Amino acid sequence: MLKLHQIKKSFVQPDKQRVPILDIPEFEIAPGEQVILIGPSGCGKTTMLHTIAGITHPDSGKVFLDNVELTRYSESARDRIRANKLGYVFQTFNLLPGFSAYENVILGMTFASKKRSPERARTLLDRVGLGHRLNNKPHQLSVGEQQRVAVARALANRPSLLLADEPTANVDPGNQQQIIDLIKSSCETEKIALLMVTHSMEVAEQFERVERLDQLNLVVGDAKAKPSENTTAQQPTP
Amino acid sequence: MNSFKIAWRSIQQRGFGSLLTIVSMSLGVTMVVAVLTIHGVVSQSFRANNSFGYNIIVGARGGGLQLTLNSVYYLSKPVENIPYEYYLAFCDKETRARDLKNSIAYHAKETVDETMGLTSPILPGSAGIGAALSDALIKDAFDFQQTSAMKLNERGLYKRYTHIAVPLCQGDYYVDPETQLAFRCVGTTPNFFTDLVLDIDSNKKFEFAEGRNFVEKSEENGLFECVVGSIVADRCDIKLGDKLQATHGDPNSSSAHIHEQDYTVVGIIEGTGTPNDRVVFLNMEGFFLMEDHAKTIEKDGVLKTEDDLDEEPQDEVMIDPLDDSFFDDEGDAPETIDDSPAAATDQTIAETPALSEEDEFARKQNATRIPLPIEQREVTSILVRTSLSDEVGAIGYFLPGQINEGDLETTLDWTSYRPERSQKAAQAVNPVMEVASLFQVFVDPIRWLLLGLTCMICIVSALSILVGIYNSMNQRKHEIAVMRALGANRTRVMSIILCESVLLALMGGSLGWFLGHSLNGVLGPSVEDSTGVALGFFDFAPAVDISVLTLGFIPDSFINASVSPELLVIPGLMLLAVVVGIYPAISAYRTDVSKSLGK
Repeated sequence: MLKLHQIKKSFVQPDKQRVPILDIPEFEIAPGEQVILIGPSGCGKTTMLHTIAGITHPDSGKVFLDNVELTRYSESARDRIRANKLGYVFQTFNLLPGFSAYENVILGMTFASKKRSPERARTLLDRVGLGHRLNNKPHQLSVGEQQRVAVARALANRPSLLLADEPTANVDPGNQQQIIDLIKSSCETEKIALLMVTHSMEVAEQFERVERLDQLNLVVGDAKAKPSENTTAQQPTP
Repeated sequence: MNSFKIAWRSIQQRGFGSLLTIVSMSLGVTMVVAVLTIHGVVSQSFRANNSFGYNIIVGARGGGLQLTLNSVYYLSKPVENIPYEYYLAFCDKETRARDLKNSIAYHAKETVDETMGLTSPILPGSAGIGAALSDALIKDAFDFQQTSAMKLNERGLYKRYTHIAVPLCQGDYYVDPETQLAFRCVGTTPNFFTDLVLDIDSNKKFEFAEGRNFVEKSEENGLFECVVGSIVADRCDIKLGDKLQATHGDPNSSSAHIHEQDYTVVGIIEGTGTPNDRVVFLNMEGFFLMEDHAKTIEKDGVLKTEDDLDEEPQDEVMIDPLDDSFFDDEGDAPETIDDSPAAATDQTIAETPALSEEDEFARKQNATRIPLPIEQREVTSILVRTSLSDEVGAIGYFLPGQINEGDLETTLDWTSYRPERSQKAAQAVNPVMEVASLFQVFVDPIRWLLLGLTCMICIVSALSILVGIYNSMNQRKHEIAVMRALGANRTRVMSIILCESVLLALMGGSLGWFLGHSLNGVLGPSVEDSTGVALGFFDFAPAVDISVLTLGFIPDSFINASVSPELLVIPGLMLLAVVVGIYPAISAYRTDVSKSLGK
């Protein structure tokens, strides 16, 4: 359901020098598949997620989402597709501080063309264990609770693909596993494909497919290494 | 969750800062609304009063504006009074004949005629019957014959140019005993309410909410009937049949005193929205009979020069027509009231041979309450509507010129009992021109200046919206990036910022509008006391032509419509908000999502 083909992306530094960040020949995710993406800092994980989400437009190459070539569309069209088909869980939660937990989840539905469903928002918050905290603002929630609201927000529109950028990086160890389990089970239940970026080996080991970005991305890794296409878990090299 | 709700959340999030911005905006709008409504209502009232159906005001020489303000709006103090004969110059022959026959000089002539049984003209030096007829009396009778008597059956000097003439007498106030509120008393004739109109275009006349107009002499109340304005009746709880007493002079002055004479309320005017609502209108005939309202006359009835006064002992007597005790030393007053002139004359000659004719006249007047002789009358001003057949209004221009040249003083038929003959000069003014001049020279420029200042305040307040939102953009770049990451496009985030700006302006404008009208409600009584114009919370700035509002940029030929400038305040504010919100909105539009998400 996701396919990247010949994706290249670079950024222009203040000294006008162009620095390549991504050079990915091929990458695919099947519908409902859960993939972990692991790699060293600065290897372009977030840029890759942004490219998939349409937040960033690649310099060249194609991104297909549900057989729709995302890269052909204008920015506003990509925004629309992102609102309808993608869910995003950020490392720093990124809840809007002026909105309650319930309103943050509703916000996740606001920009989509689908009709907003207040009932789904309550159901999701209930599922993440925050059904009794609907009206609490982010500053009234713990770190773990905030991330759970973020997960509920990402799932609000029943996306085809959930992108999670190090969702447990800022969560205390006690809550990390809960978050992972929540994401994993939600995606399995709703048949949502998952692409999660993480540094944690313990997290990676819980998933069947683990990809190394330094192997996918020619800019940082071995150009000869190819992405795994089978469903058996692979032990990444530390 | 639409853009407005997201914007509202953002405003709530910056609570105190948003509140300060709203209050700042509201203060500017408060002043704009207050200036627009107060100026609009007051100027509309002033201009409306000018269409009462008269185009000339005749009064004592002095400030034309003061005469207009005093006569039309009952503001300020009267300039001076003018002789009653000036009013007669505008009257028809029936009115003149009636009033001239109510003069001391005419009574002197009648007395001489009856006593001497003469039908031929009286000549000076003619022998009288005993000492009852003094030379002075005969002289006065001759004078009257030569002057007024010859013109008894003629209309007034300016009657041919006049459609309506209404006299006004001012100087008294009504002070309510319970509330101590003071309202002006104006002595006038019944035709104030029958001939004058509230609006000359629609010919709308005065109407009575209760009762009727007063009459010059009624069987039950004699000469002492009055009509009160709606505000007077309301604030002082006055009803039909109530008795009122006027206070002579400014109630705040130490020399003010309450007249003993009661006036009976026979009518209450329907509210007109004009200064007339705040006035007690007294029958002029009764007004003249009240204490200190009659001009003094010489006892002998002879016009005294200053040289005469220096040589002879002063023997001036103040004749008070209402004071019966004046006659106690000189004889008994008649036991029965017989108002026939012949009977009174016979009784007077038989019982009090020592009384002069003028004293007898005064006594009879007191007993019978006959109107004050015209020699003792003065009026404050005369409201004149020139002839309706003058379609071009030429009379309204040449007649004041004649009067201002002194035409009245040199051509009036004075009786010899008018001591200040030709010494009081009159003037005639066009009230519309006086008020227009006032507005043109003072009021309108001040209005524009105030509006300019208040609009600048609004602009400064709008800039505070810009500063507030712009300063918050640094903190909100991350939020905007998150919304973009959630699927909001650039235009959507831009509209959220503009919505925020508009909401702040709308709240500030609404609060300011409410405060502005509240200010009108608070200041209303003071404005009403000062100008006679009613102003309250629900009074809106009157509609103005769009060509005037746009200073001529949009001519009448393009859009011929009127709109209250108040209705443009909030839309104008919202437009201003969009203008000041554009810059931060563009900043939001250009937010780099990738960079901002990482912060």
